[in-house]
Amino acid sequence: MIIKKLIRNRISLIGLVILFGFILVAILAPVLAPIPEELLKMDPNRDPYRIPRYGFSSTPRPPSTEHPMGLTEGQLDIFHGIVWGTRTAFKVGLIVVSVSCLIGIIIGSVSAYIGGKFDEIVMRFVDIFMSFPFLIAAIVITSVLGKGLRNVMIAMILFRWTGYARLIRGNVLQVKQDEYVMAARAAGVSHIKILLRHILPNTIFPVIIQASMNMGSIVVTASSLSFLGLGAQEGYADWGQMISYARNWILGAPGNPMAYWYTVVYPGLAIVLFVLSWNLIGDAFRDIMDPKLQG
Amino acid sequence: MLTYIARRLLFLPIVLIGVTLLIFLAMSFLTPAQLVSAYIKSPEELKNQSVSELVVKYGLDQPVWKRYFSWMQNVLKGDLGYSVSANMYVAEAIAKRFPATLELALFAVIPVICGGIWLGTVSAKNHNRPLDHVSRIFAIVGWSLPDFVFGLIILLIFYGLLRWFPPGRLSVWADSVVLSGNFIQYTGMNTIDALLNGRFDIFLDALRHLVAPTITLAYLWWAYILRITRSSMLDIFSKDYVRTARAKGLMEKLVVNRHVRRNALIPVVTVVGSMILGLLSGVVIVETVFDYKGIGLLIAKGAERMDYTLILGTSLFYGVLLVMTNLIVDVLYAVIDPRVRLE
Repeated sequence: MIIKKLIRNRISLIGLVILFGFILVAILAPVLAPIPEELLKMDPNRDPYRIPRYGFSSTPRPPSTEHPMGLTEGQLDIFHGIVWGTRTAFKVGLIVVSVSCLIGIIIGSVSAYIGGKFDEIVMRFVDIFMSFPFLIAAIVITSVLGKGLRNVMIAMILFRWTGYARLIRGNVLQVKQDEYVMAARAAGVSHIKILLRHILPNTIFPVIIQASMNMGSIVVTASSLSFLGLGAQEGYADWGQMISYARNWILGAPGNPMAYWYTVVYPGLAIVLFVLSWNLIGDAFRDIMDPKLQG
Repeated sequence: MLTYIARRLLFLPIVLIGVTLLIFLAMSFLTPAQLVSAYIKSPEELKNQSVSELVVKYGLDQPVWKRYFSWMQNVLKGDLGYSVSANMYVAEAIAKRFPATLELALFAVIPVICGGIWLGTVSAKNHNRPLDHVSRIFAIVGWSLPDFVFGLIILLIFYGLLRWFPPGRLSVWADSVVLSGNFIQYTGMNTIDALLNGRFDIFLDALRHLVAPTITLAYLWWAYILRITRSSMLDIFSKDYVRTARAKGLMEKLVVNRHVRRNALIPVVTVVGSMILGLLSGVVIVETVFDYKGIGLLIAKGAERMDYTLILGTSLFYGVLLVMTNLIVDVLYAVIDPRVRLE
């Protein structure tokens, strides 16, 4: 029913179409941007996420028939980077969202179910985690753990679960007093079973929706960290890193300020469209879930 | 009211201890040898003594709780260690760079709050009319534009193409005036200092450099405040007391300004706390894009060079700053909404 409403809503339909396009690109990546054969001959086990390099000059080259989006700094193929970067974006987003959501749901629901002093302590703990700006916290953790995409994901998970924990806690606290939970408890059902069978099915849905809508902002944070040079390693297909390659060329050549537009426009467009699609769907969701705003 | 503030103040040390514990926990991921730089008093020490000697000297081989107390003693004295990437003490670097960031944030906050609330009101009054849809699309697109992409595009257009707003904090000529002995730096904020020194040309130059980073920092929150104001105004419009006000024949303008907006602003105030969090995160990216020498650029450069002394010191500073602002926001909230005090 919700999907029907999403399709009927014009704005969210645009979001769904864009998102579907990205999913297609991610699935078809090996077909759209295969590893060039000469490179495959040299190294049959070459990681497809490594962007092929066409030369040694650092100056970018404009789009051509061979390289439809041009070559960025260090002669890296932009098209290849964008196509495989889509997979990177989905990978980072899905892993961070699902793991942090799972942790948040476990901690939040158990804390609310037990209640009392325990709940109080857990929530103060959550407060402390939440008092740090997300990006700064991620920078702290990656600078301690070391650079790299995996550590970026760990850092984001460490500081993302708190929001979900708080959300599910509120829901569980409401449901906890409902009659069917009381009935289950009176019938002698074990605590774990009550939590898993009776409480969570009735509280988990909004949290999961909220979490999936965070995909966009998580991908933005991950690419911000790559932009700062903390994320993906050199030459790895990652949108944020491709934008950081564009930084030195943004002001163009003397007399031609737009000389290297393609280095920033294509990866920038990829990030914006990806995040936009999630936000369009999320915005429609919020209206569907909150009938007050339909007024 | 006073008891509410007192209760919040009592909480303060607990949260502060929590924040320091969290930072300290992050530090415990490091090996004792890596930790040395967070403890040394001056760069000479590294030349005269070996790392293992320093490890023993600063008790880095001691159990965790002992280390926490000695670390806290240093922190309370304002000693956050020596930063290799900034080539100075962390506390000194923060003191030097913070005014620039504060200046940027202040310039961003004012248009965000005023403009966002105004547009939110307009959009709620025109609910489901074209104007509302335009503001909604603007907000969604704004919310989807990552700041580093937006910033680079602004830089491309307004500096690369038009040459209007250059990066940095000041032009070279203005910078040499500021650094010369004749120009007194009262606050470290260039615009204010320039006015206090009576140098209007420097004020204009500083302003010119502030426009682009301010817009980049602000647009995202502008969209956010707009949305919050709009939805909370719509919520209040359906309240009984608004119907009463209209029924007694009050002018629509008075209904909106006196009855609706005042109540609709309560949720907006709660967002201000998280907005400040967001702005302080945002400066890391924005200052990097525009080469604006504030704390954000300091953090970005430090992170790139894995200077964890600097990162941990600045994040501790951030943590304390944020706990304080949250406290102020909470108190403000209680002032505006009497219902909070009773809880």
